[in-house]
Amino acid sequence: MKLLDMTRKYGNATYEYPFAPYDVADGFRGKPEYDYDKCIGCTACGVACPSNAINVELNEAKDKLVWKFDCGRCIYCGRCDEVCPTNAVMLGSNFETAVRFNKEDLTESAELELECCQNCGKKFTTKRLIAYCIENFKKVGWSESVIQEKTKYIKTCPVCKKADSVELVSKHFSKGVKK
Amino acid sequence: MSKTYVVPTEISELNRVEDKLELLKDIKRSFSVYRIDCGSCNGCEIEIFASITPMWDPERFGFKLVANPRHADILLCTGPVTRQMYYPLLRAYEAAPDPKIVVGYGACGSTGGIFHDCYSTWGGVDKVIPVDVWIPGCPPHPASTIYGLATAIGILDQKLKKVEHKDGSNEAPVIEKSVFGNTLFEREVMERARVMMGYLHGRELHKVFTKAVSSIKDIYNPVSSKKSLLEVIKKEEDPRFRECMMILHNDVYLKHLKRFKNIDKCNPAICFTKEEMELAYD
Ligand code: SF4
Ligand code: SF4
Ligand code: SF4
Repeated sequence: MKLLDMTRKYGNATYEYPFAPYDVADGFRGKPEYDYDKCIGCTACGVACPSNAINVELNEAKDKLVWKFDCGRCIYCGRCDEVCPTNAVMLGSNFETAVRFNKEDLTESAELELECCQNCGKKFTTKRLIAYCIENFKKVGWSESVIQEKTKYIKTCPVCKKADSVELVSKHFSKGVKK
Repeated sequence: MSKTYVVPTEISELNRVEDKLELLKDIKRSFSVYRIDCGSCNGCEIEIFASITPMWDPERFGFKLVANPRHADILLCTGPVTRQMYYPLLRAYEAAPDPKIVVGYGACGSTGGIFHDCYSTWGGVDKVIPVDVWIPGCPPHPASTIYGLATAIGILDQKLKKVEHKDGSNEAPVIEKSVFGNTLFEREVMERARVMMGYLHGRELHKVFTKAVSSIKDIYNPVSSKKSLLEVIKKEEDPRFRECMMILHNDVYLKHLKRFKNIDKCNPAICFTKEEMELAYD
């Protein structure tokens, strides 16, 4: 009898879920939500992800960059959210992530087009990343000539950049050497 | 590690998908759940026990934890399957009556999670025995657990689907216009905000602060912008946001303004003094 009294006093503690929606707490870390239109393919999330739930790599034909996410491996740490420069991946509030019989349903993937290096013609980064950089240059308030110089710089792949700077240094160096 | 265990034919013949669906249809009694710890960090166990409390009450759907695999209909496997737990897992699997439903619980149980490439683990229950349901999460929230178990027995429908994005535009995402005509200001606000409050609240602080700054009429007049920022700060309820907004004004806004105007950063008419900052916590 005493137990029944106590029950009456405290009421029903059980959550209604799944018969009613469950409101998650503030700052809840749910499944990372990906916005394809915002992603520039900078691979920062792939580098930061401690469990390699996000992988950013070239596809088999090596003509597209593929962003891959495996929800089954994600530990909801939020590091991808923290490093993403465009907020393309943000932790949401979705906790209903269980799947039945088909593990592929846990995955998400996105393809991004690649830009060629203006010197050697090899593909080295995404078109969107270059467009994003140029867009940023315009918003910083630089003059037209500076923007053009920087645009040329970012359209060169790292290998060519290295070759360029070696050439530049050796040119100056040979000037100072007596023949 | 390579796969060595092959499910014996007498078990696999009784464990086809149709058999499992049939069992779920005609069961007419409670589901007995047996929990196998295959080397988990115990986070998942704690959440399983959180979800069998009266708060979540899985017995509404008939789930009951049992202490013996011979009584079980559902095997709830947590952990990435360490070398030591390999044989105990197989023994429990073979002991459970057919047809059995195997659930990979947590990021570890589903794919190995953070331990997926660790030398001493198998990286997921499905590398060893056939798994039917995956409940990701590290550890899964009790609500995810309830949802996952209800999905396992077919009460609820699965919500996730495989997503593939293709052929998007090559345009850059929209970058908002800067109040100073220089996005480096916004970038520095974001950087300082994150240093002070972390990525989650820092983002919020950045939003509140840039909104306050962009509503200032004359951005190049530090006296009036201090006044209008003070209005916003007074309305803000969280004292941490109040103080951080003052710091942002002093350190970032005045620094960027200095490029346009010759101002004295320590002038109390344009910056927030120490006394004013202390008032933020009243
Ligand atoms: S939340 Fe953590 S584990 Fe999950 S995808 Fe992001 S970085 Fe990776
Ligand atoms: S960090 Fe953001 S923009 Fe960069 S690849 Fe990841 S999701 Fe895309
Ligand atoms: S999924 Fe996370 S909480 Fe669960 S056992 Fe693995 S590391 Fe621990």
